[in-house]
Amino acid sequence: MIDAPRGRAAAHSLPAAVAILAAATGFAATLWSWSHGGGVLDLPWAASLDIRLRFELDGLGALYTLLATGVALPVFVYAARYLPAHLAQQRRPASHAPRFYGLLVLFMVSMAGLAMAQDMVVLFVFWDLTAVASYFLIAYDRHEDSARWAALMALLVTGVSAVLLLIGALVLYAEYGTFSVPELFERAQPGGTLTLAGGLIAVAALAKSAQVPLHFWLPRAMAAPTPVSAYLHSAAMVAAGVLLLGRLYPLIEPSALLRDGLLVVGGVSIAVGGVIALTRDEMKQLLAYSTFSQYGYVVFLYGLGGAKAAVAAAFYVISHALAKSALFLTAGAVTQATGSKKLSEVGGLARGLPLLAAASAAAAAAIVALPLTVGFFADELFFAAALERGPWAAALAVAAAGLTFAYLGRFWIAIFLGPPTPSRRLPPAMLVPVAALGACLVATGFWPEPVASLAAAAGEASVRAPTSAAVAYHLDARSENLMALATWSIGLTLLVLPMLWRAPAGAVARLGARVGPERLYAAGLRRVNRLSDRVHDLEVRDLRARVAAVLVPAGALVALGFLATPTAGSYRVGEIASRDAALVLMLALACVAAVAATLQNHHLTLTLVLATLGFALAGVYAFFGAPDVALVAVVVETLLALLLFGVLALIPAQVLRREAEIRTRGSRRWRDPLIGVVSGLFAFVLAWGALSRPAPERSVAAEHIELAPDAHAKDVVTAILADFRGLDTLGEVTVVAVALIGVVALLRRGRLW
Amino acid sequence: MSLLVQGLARLLLAPILMVAFAVLVKGYADVGDGFAAGAIASLAILLQYIAFGREQTERTLAIRLLPAAAFVGLLSALAIAAAPLASGDPLLTHRPGAGTEPIHLGTLELIGAFAFDIAVFLLVLGATLGIIHAIAREAERVEGIEPR
Amino acid sequence: MTLIPALAVGVLFGCGAFLLLKPDLFRIVAGIVLVAHAANIALISSGLERGQSPIHPLAEGPVSDPLVQALTITALVIGFAVTALLLCLAYGIYVSSKTVDLDDLSHAEARDERELEREEVSV
Repeated sequence: MIDAPRGRAAAHSLPAAVAILAAATGFAATLWSWSHGGGVLDLPWAASLDIRLRFELDGLGALYTLLATGVALPVFVYAARYLPAHLAQQRRPASHAPRFYGLLVLFMVSMAGLAMAQDMVVLFVFWDLTAVASYFLIAYDRHEDSARWAALMALLVTGVSAVLLLIGALVLYAEYGTFSVPELFERAQPGGTLTLAGGLIAVAALAKSAQVPLHFWLPRAMAAPTPVSAYLHSAAMVAAGVLLLGRLYPLIEPSALLRDGLLVVGGVSIAVGGVIALTRDEMKQLLAYSTFSQYGYVVFLYGLGGAKAAVAAAFYVISHALAKSALFLTAGAVTQATGSKKLSEVGGLARGLPLLAAASAAAAAAIVALPLTVGFFADELFFAAALERGPWAAALAVAAAGLTFAYLGRFWIAIFLGPPTPSRRLPPAMLVPVAALGACLVATGFWPEPVASLAAAAGEASVRAPTSAAVAYHLDARSENLMALATWSIGLTLLVLPMLWRAPAGAVARLGARVGPERLYAAGLRRVNRLSDRVHDLEVRDLRARVAAVLVPAGALVALGFLATPTAGSYRVGEIASRDAALVLMLALACVAAVAATLQNHHLTLTLVLATLGFALAGVYAFFGAPDVALVAVVVETLLALLLFGVLALIPAQVLRREAEIRTRGSRRWRDPLIGVVSGLFAFVLAWGALSRPAPERSVAAEHIELAPDAHAKDVVTAILADFRGLDTLGEVTVVAVALIGVVALLRRGRLW
Repeated sequence: MSLLVQGLARLLLAPILMVAFAVLVKGYADVGDGFAAGAIASLAILLQYIAFGREQTERTLAIRLLPAAAFVGLLSALAIAAAPLASGDPLLTHRPGAGTEPIHLGTLELIGAFAFDIAVFLLVLGATLGIIHAIAREAERVEGIEPR
Repeated sequence: MTLIPALAVGVLFGCGAFLLLKPDLFRIVAGIVLVAHAANIALISSGLERGQSPIHPLAEGPVSDPLVQALTITALVIGFAVTALLLCLAYGIYVSSKTVDLDDLSHAEARDERELEREEVSV
């Protein structure tokens, strides 16, 4: 169903319009500030922790913010048409729509904040915000198990590695005393600490950009709706990883170990991603593997080191983001038009959807670096940087680019050429964004200056030295052009002769599925679940076991303390005057009532015995010279007894009788009384020790007695309750009000009357 | 419920309420405080519930409004505690202060702490009655299903 | 007068602890009531002086400590509110599980968890 009913359009159009407006405003504002030289925002946030809110719109920040807001525009326009159909298909109400746009805007804002942050802790906060927004967006189709599983996987992988980022920041703080990024750059010295911190940060960045071995969450995340994949998982969130590498490059570059590590990881990711992408049948899966393969290029470039490589990396990010989101939108549009997600089930759509075919051809051409698209220059810079490193890097670069040509060629040809399959017409709102991105890619192919200058500025922010990026078409036999030709020939060969790669690529894919990191993740999750269950059984299984687990060790420890410390003189018996006889008698009555309560079987008699206990204690209070307390105790006991009777009356007699007739069996017959005796002893020793302590000379109570007449009160206790310690009373009455709310909620389901 | 209990309950309502009020009022000069007063008053009304049943007791409007009075009491207590903040004094500074003679109503002194006690009285009364009402309604519901 | 209240505290606490270990929800509430009473006795017997009630005008001689009395009143009221809530909670448990026996509740909970585990595994 493509056409959603008109009535629901309103629920969709307002949030969509707000989102599009937000993206456009952000883009325009960033462009304007960037063209006016950028700016810095520096506010104190947590002074005692040395954390400042420092944001700077430098080259790197401008690049990623423009990317985040710029790619958001076509994606939001697409989503405005895609989401109503998506929700209608799943029979979900239109009220689910605002949440989608809200999360997308939240993500855009956090991406912008991440790009411009200049303080390690602020960086970490925005980093995690993007992860959280991504979690909710991937799991937007909450009813789908695959979506929930994928969202959790993405969150765990990127979230746990984010902790490594925080640890790296703390290591740097411990060593250099600052969280501020510019200050760190000034103070950092190459050495073990810097390598350690840089390594931790690099791992966090690589997990976010889905590099091997932490790449397995990205293909799973394709369970998200198409706009989410087009925005987050091609252009924005995955780009955050390489953003971090670029931002903190001065901390990573000095260490040759880290750079070589980045080379290896980047190279492996390119290879793994490319090879498996060749074998994928589902469109979005192919694009997902392609995405982390392409980010492998960027990581590889950062591993090469140097100004040229940094500029090339930034250029690559721009070109890839524009092109990949266009391709994802294409995949979504094809699914909407034909109802199928697999390459094998579609074909020959060029006739029915010519605009889409042309736009996605431009996008695919940009990634495979055909001339007349900006991707050509991206690869030119990539080849130049690889050549500088050595012939092996150049060979690797050519092989990688050839692989890319092959799988993307396969993608486009399988969709748009060949025997035609039936397709529906698509609304223009779904085609225009793709066309716009494609046009942008072609236009910058003719006029690459803005992209080049932005990339140069970003590279400058990374290496903190002046850079330049001169890109132009050179029709001579320089090495980059030769390498490009070699790439295309390799790619064409692979396309034309699929039997060359089908078997080995399939084997690699199967191997990865069997022993890859995703299995480790799943196994790890299962282990953690089992551990949690075991702890739960141990700790929480039984209320009584828990209570006993507290009382018995407490009693044992107090007994140990009693035996271990010298107790002579610390336990006084105290004087007992004859006038205290009544007091002693009442206490004795209370104790007898308490023991009797343990022996009662019927609940009615239990209540009566408890009431006796309460009234006996009221007498105790009276004989302690506390008439106010006695009055309150009597009244409370009456109320409680009546309350207990009232609640017991609600329970059928059979249930209560069953409880009354239960005979304790087995070990519990002697275990429970033993625990009772032990706890009683422990409480007795504790109370006696506390009561035996010598009294201070002058107490606060004496002050209260003296001050009471000033408070216009003759009864000191009332004065304390209402005046001197009135806040305690306020707390007490709040508890009573809360108890009322609780009772009403339990018995009347929340209706007060 | 037998006629004796009902007669006694009707007779005792006013005296018990009077005792409760007395406990509240003389709390400053003698034994008593807001909480005890509220609880005694609620006991008086509970006696009516036991003697006459829920419906007849709740025909009086005052009783129907009392659970809401709990929240009125709570808010007043909070207001009384927080009001001194407006004039820069710390929380719960009662007027009149030390040394100033308060307004007398007979032998009753009208002081800020007394207002606080009245708020506590209302709250305890309302809360207890709310709980009693909830249990009484639940008892009716249970008896409707399972006659004993 | 330090030994005897301490003895009373011990006895009350011990009986309360014994009741807390019973499988019957209402006896657990009774246990909590007993433990609260033990705490109140400990509180009021920790007053620094014991004598006449602290109401002006005061005669010669020791005056009972008013501070612990105020604290005990607060403790009594809070104990009342919490016990009321606990009783209604016990009744609420009865309404939802048709039993007030903790053993039955544990069995039912374990059964429900096994159901849940079986569902998760099959997914």
